[in-house]
Amino acid sequence: MNNNNEYKKPTIKLARFRWMYLIIIVVFIYYAAQLFNYQIIDGETYVARAEDNRTTEISIPTQRGMIFDRNGVVLARNAAQYNVTVTPAELPDSAGDIRKIFDQLSVLIDIPVNQGEVNDETASAFTPCFTNLGIFQIVEIAESLWPFQPTRLKCDLTKETAMIIEEKKMDWPGIDIEVESIREYPTGDQTAEIIGFLGPIPEVLLDYYTDLGFVSGRDKVGYMGIENSMQDVLAGTNGKRVVEVTVGGEIVRDIEEPIEPIPGQDIHLTIDYRMQMAARAALIAQMDYWNDFYLRERDKILSTTGVVIGMNAKTGELLFMVSYPSYENNRMGQFIPGYYYEQLSIDEAKPLVNKAITSELPPGSVFKMVAALGVLNEDVVTPEQIVNCTPTITLRNQFYETDIGYSQTYFCHDDAGHGPVDYLHGIGYSCNIYWYKVGGGYPGEVEDGGLGIWNISEYGAALGYGQETGIELPGEADGLLPNPTWKRLNQGENWATGDTYLAVVGQGYVLATPVQVMNSFSTIVNGGKHMQLSMIGEVVDGYGNTVREFEPEVLWDITTDPLIHTYQGNNQTSEVKVIEPWVIELAKEGMQLVTSSEGTAKIEYEGDQNKIAGKTGTAEYCDDWANSQGLCIQGSWPSHAWFAGYAPYDDPEIVVVAFVYNGNEGSTVSGPIVRKVIDAYFEFKKIDAELEGLQTGN
Amino acid sequence: MNTRQIWQRFDFVLFAVVLLLCIFGVALISSAIAGNPTLEEHPQRQATFMIIGLVVLFLVAAFDYHIWTTLSKPFYIFVAALLLIVFIMGGERFGAARWLETGLVTIQPAELAKIAIILALASYFSVNIEKINNWVTIIRSLIITGGIVIWILLQPNLSTSIVIFVIWAAMLWISGLETKYILIMVGVAVLFLALSFAFDFPYLADYQKARITNFLQPDETARHGETYNVEQALISIGAGGWFGNGYGQGSQVQLRFLKIRHNDFIFSVLANEFGFVGTVIVVAALVFVIIRCFKVAQNAPDAYGALIAYGFGVLMGFQTIVNIGVNLRLLPVTGLTLPFISYGGSSLVSMLLGIGLVQNVHMRSQPRQRTTDSS
Repeated sequence: MNNNNEYKKPTIKLARFRWMYLIIIVVFIYYAAQLFNYQIIDGETYVARAEDNRTTEISIPTQRGMIFDRNGVVLARNAAQYNVTVTPAELPDSAGDIRKIFDQLSVLIDIPVNQGEVNDETASAFTPCFTNLGIFQIVEIAESLWPFQPTRLKCDLTKETAMIIEEKKMDWPGIDIEVESIREYPTGDQTAEIIGFLGPIPEVLLDYYTDLGFVSGRDKVGYMGIENSMQDVLAGTNGKRVVEVTVGGEIVRDIEEPIEPIPGQDIHLTIDYRMQMAARAALIAQMDYWNDFYLRERDKILSTTGVVIGMNAKTGELLFMVSYPSYENNRMGQFIPGYYYEQLSIDEAKPLVNKAITSELPPGSVFKMVAALGVLNEDVVTPEQIVNCTPTITLRNQFYETDIGYSQTYFCHDDAGHGPVDYLHGIGYSCNIYWYKVGGGYPGEVEDGGLGIWNISEYGAALGYGQETGIELPGEADGLLPNPTWKRLNQGENWATGDTYLAVVGQGYVLATPVQVMNSFSTIVNGGKHMQLSMIGEVVDGYGNTVREFEPEVLWDITTDPLIHTYQGNNQTSEVKVIEPWVIELAKEGMQLVTSSEGTAKIEYEGDQNKIAGKTGTAEYCDDWANSQGLCIQGSWPSHAWFAGYAPYDDPEIVVVAFVYNGNEGSTVSGPIVRKVIDAYFEFKKIDAELEGLQTGN
Repeated sequence: MNTRQIWQRFDFVLFAVVLLLCIFGVALISSAIAGNPTLEEHPQRQATFMIIGLVVLFLVAAFDYHIWTTLSKPFYIFVAALLLIVFIMGGERFGAARWLETGLVTIQPAELAKIAIILALASYFSVNIEKINNWVTIIRSLIITGGIVIWILLQPNLSTSIVIFVIWAAMLWISGLETKYILIMVGVAVLFLALSFAFDFPYLADYQKARITNFLQPDETARHGETYNVEQALISIGAGGWFGNGYGQGSQVQLRFLKIRHNDFIFSVLANEFGFVGTVIVVAALVFVIIRCFKVAQNAPDAYGALIAYGFGVLMGFQTIVNIGVNLRLLPVTGLTLPFISYGGSSLVSMLLGIGLVQNVHMRSQPRQRTTDSS
């Protein structure tokens, strides 16, 4: 073996080895260059991509603030809901093991193991929590869509079921329990028009909310009511973790110090839930009564829609706000069901709309209080001056000064007329003839065109008409205080004298929301102080610190702030004036007469113990609905029922406005509602005082 | 030469470099486990195979390589038989039957086949070296090769088949094949590829076609699968920078974004954790081994020894080039291992066996100076 002779001389082509070395050297130099390119030249790009791979930002959900009424009654809170989820990719490999898990799970959550068929249609219609498919079918769809994400098999499990699954989940890979925070409204449809509800982040606001740290698909935002208007206060701020994850999404560690979530702030409203219930009950009872009556007598109901609102005249606090019908906001707690939303949307009574702030309505006779301040303050008449209230008057409708115009006949609501009427009785009787004459002038009795449209709009604005009250709710309308300029711009027509006659009694072009009407009465009965209407009492942060307390805010005082401009023809002069306090006192006295034995609401307020005063309003209207019902008969339009009341008249603290759509007559339909509500107010006040006495007695 | 003289000619530098590469491989595999329990035992198994491989290396080096002139035939038959068994009853894995489950260990006979072919062809060409430029010789060598490759192709294992064909072509070429024959054979190969293309590669399995398509038209958005794996390999390499993230510290490796990281993509593990500098050193060591094999071949006492050392050099060079090329996204994914470093018992033992053969040839050749002196 060690014999060299055994070896033959190699005769392979030694020269060809040069090629081998050349190949090796060229290839590996090329590789080294590539490596240099990736690691050094483009290194940063790949470092960034590797960083991107390993780091994940996790949003830690925060808790939304609660909403309370003024006495601490919970109006909105968060509740835990237990859902069972399946992550298809984490299920066991063996089909037998999967089957075993599903068999046991099926019994627990009451979903069949197999049900329905997976096809394009069922797959695209698949909504977790709301499906008739069996477990296998759900898993099949989930696996094709997002195998690594948990998909909800069943939602809203009982806590017991959730606990059982929680215990078993170690043996059931891929099955998990998810705790979802959902919004609960213990007072439901009693307060839905105030509170509103939550919904998913709308597509158009996605960027805005994403920038604020919201997570689409998980976090919800307010859609209506306080939930919407106070979104920023209630929502809080999500926390954040930057973590290192494995390729499977398993968290290895925190890379940065986690940022804890900041809980949302609790809001204590000025709303009194008891009053809210009382007001709604009074409204519904009255509407039921009249609907029954109309059904018996005329084979159709009177009205489906109404508003009752009340505020503290001294502070501007909103005490209750009923917009009937409303809706059950608890049904929107987890998600907004399409069929329910659809049903609410097409309902003619518009349950989703808060009519107290969004409905712009002819205010009718309640608007006479604007002229009531104006005529005395402008010396159009003296309080004692007698104006003759005939059954009808004929007035000339002129579009310009030298226009011959045409005659138009106006009626008093009392067929016989009220005879000679002074200022107080003008309010007490709500005599239209009186207000036409003083508002628009009547040759021989009230000269120089009476108060005139420019003054009506000035005094209206001083009481808050034609502008938003600023109540903390979304979608408030601003009504309409017309004047000649507005008409020329919007109707392309000159202001006619007849327009003034209509405006002075709150008809024609005048439109107001129920909150504006309430606010205007509050200003009068509060001696001229126009308070900021508000329903946000106290705001408390997640750590129990009071962030904001309620402070009554005087927006203006009509007796000291010179708000009334004066006019020369259609031109505003630089002269401004205040409203004299004695004018306000007389206007209030007039409203006392309304509920007295002489006034328009004498029957409804007979035997009143709570010193309620107010003003009736029967506002003729003709809108789309009335038209479709064939109610708009020339000269005999249907009418809404208004009543604005306050008490006690010697030191007013509460103002209540009731409005019944198509309610026919203010005194008979809305008057009793206000009386009942104010009675309830004083009843609760008494109870509160007794309770306080008991507590201090201890 | 007596035994002592022979062992004095043992190439300790080559051995040391190979040993370091093997140990480094075990270390890299340890890092590549990255908390995956199914990979937990891999480093220990690799270490065991390394020991076995070293024993094989010394055993092979100890006896004059000429015993393989008689042994290569039974070895060839043995390997062909193993491949046949695998083909008949091999377990399905990754779409191809490549392993032989013996109960104790799983053997991948295709790895041994590479060595068997080198030995068989070295024996055949060294005997027929005078009449190499003859179609009969060429066809017969092709038949020798085909007797083994056919079973590997049927597994199907295209990449190993290509390796073996490359070895065959390279050995034929070094044996002195004239340009005329080379041109004709290249022509045949081109024609074959053209026909294959025309008939949509009927002999390729779907996954093999997919690999090629993936390479030519990668789907950039894939979250898993081959394109994703290659993409993650590139990120792993690029993120290594000059000095890497450090052993056991590579985020791409440790958080398991890099797939098949103990095997096909171990080069990316290396680049991710040791950076440009570390990678170049390791690749230089591999290149050193390859070149050393060629040097031994050039200096071999006879054509047989030269062809053995040269064949092994080609095998190692080709595998290294392809493996790194795949990692650098210069070649489609093949599944070829990085010699001495990738996980795989059969591969490691075969490689060390090959080194044993190269050492054997080296030990029985004259020191270069002396040859020059005597001539």
